[in-house]
Amino acid sequence: MFELKEKQSRKFKDQQFYDAVPDSATYCLLPFRFHRINQDKEVLVNEVGDFLLVAKGTAARIINRVLSKNADETLYADLIAGFFITEHVIPPMLDVIAARYRTRKSFLDYFTALHIFVITLRCEHTCHYCQVSRVTENKHAFDMRRAHIDAGIDLMMHSPNPHVTMEFQGGEALLAFDNIVYAVERTKREAGRHNKQVSFVICTNLAPLTDDMVAYCKDNRILISTSIDGPDYVHNQNRHRPEKNSYEVAVQGIEKCKEALGIDRVSALLTTTTLSLKFPHEIVDEYFKLGFRNIFLRPISPYGFATHNHTKNKYNTDLFLNFYKEALNKIIDYNLKGEYFREDYATIILKKMLTPFPVGYVDLQSPAGMINSVIVFNYDGKVYASDEARMLAEMHDDTFMLGELCVHSYDEIFYGDKAVQLSEAWLNESLPGCSECAFQSYCGSDPVLNHATQGNMFGHRPTSVFCQKNMEIIRHLFQLMDSDRRIEKIFRTWTRN
Amino acid sequence: MESKITATGLELLIDQALYSEDVVFKCFYWYSGTFNVEIEQSLPSQIRVIVKPKKEQAFEPEILLEQISKDLIDFKLRDIVTKETTTIRELIIAKAFAYADFEQNPTTEVSDPVGFDPTLIQ
Repeated sequence: MFELKEKQSRKFKDQQFYDAVPDSATYCLLPFRFHRINQDKEVLVNEVGDFLLVAKGTAARIINRVLSKNADETLYADLIAGFFITEHVIPPMLDVIAARYRTRKSFLDYFTALHIFVITLRCEHTCHYCQVSRVTENKHAFDMRRAHIDAGIDLMMHSPNPHVTMEFQGGEALLAFDNIVYAVERTKREAGRHNKQVSFVICTNLAPLTDDMVAYCKDNRILISTSIDGPDYVHNQNRHRPEKNSYEVAVQGIEKCKEALGIDRVSALLTTTTLSLKFPHEIVDEYFKLGFRNIFLRPISPYGFATHNHTKNKYNTDLFLNFYKEALNKIIDYNLKGEYFREDYATIILKKMLTPFPVGYVDLQSPAGMINSVIVFNYDGKVYASDEARMLAEMHDDTFMLGELCVHSYDEIFYGDKAVQLSEAWLNESLPGCSECAFQSYCGSDPVLNHATQGNMFGHRPTSVFCQKNMEIIRHLFQLMDSDRRIEKIFRTWTRN
Repeated sequence: MESKITATGLELLIDQALYSEDVVFKCFYWYSGTFNVEIEQSLPSQIRVIVKPKKEQAFEPEILLEQISKDLIDFKLRDIVTKETTTIRELIIAKAFAYADFEQNPTTEVSDPVGFDPTLIQ
């Protein structure tokens, strides 16, 4: 056993320490990366995602071997303890670093967890940013066939993952509630046979919600994921219904679900349109008012029908980042007043920064979440590598189609030639611009977005909206933590839930 | 590093004894969003880089030059870390996954290589 010491005690050393002081040039570097976060500070990030915020120029001093073990005693000790440098050619804690690295990648251990069933494309909303939905009564053309549902469930049961999630999406999923019931009942039977735990999620705008549906969700512990874009004057503009009441309907549905299922069984997602950019504070306040204690500030996805309306859906990433920072400040203000209220995108990144564990968020992983964590069974039986991939398919681009239900086997879909081809672009460790980026372990790769916005799966970081957004948000989070210790404490509370 | 401000941009002559080809390419990769960048071997130990704005936009050559000088140093530092730690990084990753339980035969549909399909049995 060894004794843990506070940092302050490092100034008192025994005689042996001073007798054995090595020359400053004798330490060896361990893999780490650095990035300037402002005029005065830079961040050092090691191979397992641990970071140190240090004075600008520190990385150069470390790498050029001008660091002194005596004069820079605290920093030197932090660098040794944090796996940035070592006094041995083979670091004595190598096994610990390796175990930490494996933990970081442990989301790969069980393979695909999230299985999205696009149960119907039909919808009674006409949201201008929707990527896929159709307003139609034609069930046969746009509802998932039972044979495809069966085949999708069979593939899900073949996943090596003992805990899978079955998520019903649309269109408006509740318009095909009979199919949802059929799928849930069949899955429950199959899960027993295959010894799997299954979580169910319905993504819905809540407009078609009935008491019977709520009761069924309660009986089967089904989670509800809905959408709130902000106050009524934003939500109703974004999410068109003939009655112009999508906000009222959604709020009533949320209340009904919260009451019946419990507050923790209902979540809401925000989609940021050009209109939303004007109301960062109002949107945050709206979520707080509705009783949510989290909000996910998401930019619009540049896929499918969303790309048809440039005025309402296309905006500069800088504008989104300004919106994001304003909204985040408002959220932090709530916390400073004693309320727990978190931003989910920041929380995902902060968990990667402040804890040793990976986060199961498919859009920010390396290897990418596609196939490894998520698979999509489309309404027409086609299988896509991610949700964004099926949105891209609505633009007649089947680049990320892996196969078809009832036609291809598990091996052909999950381990086939297309999957191998995609795997070449899904590691940010080996992408140009990412390979030496300090934020690599907090970020991910998104071959679908690269393909959709830049024409190839590998992407071009200097013009990538994904890179621009994530680099700035991560830098901003570091700056906030460095600027105010209270904010760092708030961020740490977000990572514990 | 020698530099020349031209009518359309900047021309730089970079000594490869100071900045390797890797460093030059990684550094100027980040300029390729807003500039057209040409990189060529001008002498056996010298690289010529020509940087021109992509659009008809105002740019300040002195500020650009200062930024390039800083970035070249940063990318050289990164290159030192990358090269010095290649072995240890490989060792970490090899050890991390050395005991991974790779499933050689993932659970899949029942099948038989000779064509016998047990699922067809009534």
